[in-house]
Amino acid sequence: MSSQMNNTFNDPAQSLSLQQKGSALRGVLVGLIPLGLLLLICAVTVLLTALARQLVASSGFFAQQQASVIVLIVGLVVALVVYIIAVVRTLRSVTTWQRSGAGGQARAALLALGCTALVVLFPVALAIVLPQNPAP
Amino acid sequence: MSSRPPSTVMPITQPQGGVKKTDRLLRWIVVALLIVSVIVITFYTALSIYIATQLVYKPQKPLYATPASLGLQFKYVTFPSRIDQAQLKGWYIPGVLPNGNLTSQRTIIMVHGTRTNRADKDAGLLNLSGDLARHGFAILAFDMRGTGESPPAPLSLGYFEQRDVLGAVDFLRSGPIPYPALGRTHIIGGWGVSMGAATLMMATAQEPAIRAIVSDCAYADIIPILEREVPNGGHLPQLFTPGALFAARVLYGMDFYAVRPVDIVASIAPRPIFFIHGTIDTYVPTANMNILATAARTAPDAHIQTWLVPGADHAQSFNKEGTVYVDRVVAFYNAALGPDTSGK
Repeated sequence: MSSQMNNTFNDPAQSLSLQQKGSALRGVLVGLIPLGLLLLICAVTVLLTALARQLVASSGFFAQQQASVIVLIVGLVVALVVYIIAVVRTLRSVTTWQRSGAGGQARAALLALGCTALVVLFPVALAIVLPQNPAP
Repeated sequence: MSSRPPSTVMPITQPQGGVKKTDRLLRWIVVALLIVSVIVITFYTALSIYIATQLVYKPQKPLYATPASLGLQFKYVTFPSRIDQAQLKGWYIPGVLPNGNLTSQRTIIMVHGTRTNRADKDAGLLNLSGDLARHGFAILAFDMRGTGESPPAPLSLGYFEQRDVLGAVDFLRSGPIPYPALGRTHIIGGWGVSMGAATLMMATAQEPAIRAIVSDCAYADIIPILEREVPNGGHLPQLFTPGALFAARVLYGMDFYAVRPVDIVASIAPRPIFFIHGTIDTYVPTANMNILATAARTAPDAHIQTWLVPGADHAQSFNKEGTVYVDRVVAFYNAALGPDTSGK
């Protein structure tokens, strides 16, 4: 058993494969940071909008609408700015990794960013693809 | 660890400083995808929010007349909606018995349609209220939230408005009595048109005090109508409708997907329902009445009547049929609510 383990750790090909997997996973995680931030801020924005609506409910409809729209738009703008900054930083990391020869990690991060773009587009795609209710 | 070959600590796959052509291509594809996704989602979200704000509020229509213009007595009333206490304005019109005496024994709650008010000239609501009053039914006609003289509020097509109908029931059962000499009303019925009918159905399902309802051109489910009307109103493709409905949910807390009278209509039984619909109604197609009546009849003790009014457009059955409409509705209420016994 002991000699088998020694063999495992000493096998250069297997060690290389493990390192590749680890760096690819790191790349994926870094690539998914913008999406995580976007979803988090959007969720907080929705909650804050509901809270704002409740807080100004006694002030009448127009004040309530104004508060809700302002909170929602500000939240979404913050989400957009944070998302763009996170994407740019991730792309810079990708460039660094590519230049330093960590191509696998860079590729994994790029693929995660590609998936992020698809997830962001998903609601619109869903609205296009989903069959509408046939009006009776 | 010291025995690890030097090759395992070197960077993987790429020589330092070099970037493969495929990697460069992948990078450009991903960057292009990211830019497109940001532009598309920003545009979609902004338009959805705009549509939602336009969908839920339009300036309120003023009342064009009062029951006094029909020679009827009435009193202005104000009562709170159930749950959120919106202060709603309305009229209480006592019923007129054949001998000329007034009565409040049986009261009909009149529920108007979308973006109109308790007088609703187009549907003839004030005239119908007057006709029913002259047949011995007291009338509570009120403006739902966001309409007429009631406070501004988002239009939720029944989702919030059902609280207004429930508030009207609370007012009749325990609020100040508009005509103390006539006493408190004993029997409550309801009449609704279009959104008012759908709202009345949803309220009646929760409130057993409403003993019978007339539903004139109600929708079974609001979503198909919104999916048709939202793009028409905004001159935008249909794909913006789900976004606008979601934005309305976030901004105003209303769930249009829950506005489905078809799901609750069976629970109104054994209380009778009279469904009326115009045959040339294109706004809420006639099939809605069939769907609702079929769903209502699934209750074992259902009492359902239906009437397809030939040549009547949306909310025009009363205007088209006039006295025939009134006679049929009065006959339904007399059978369902029983006769007025206040004179005996």
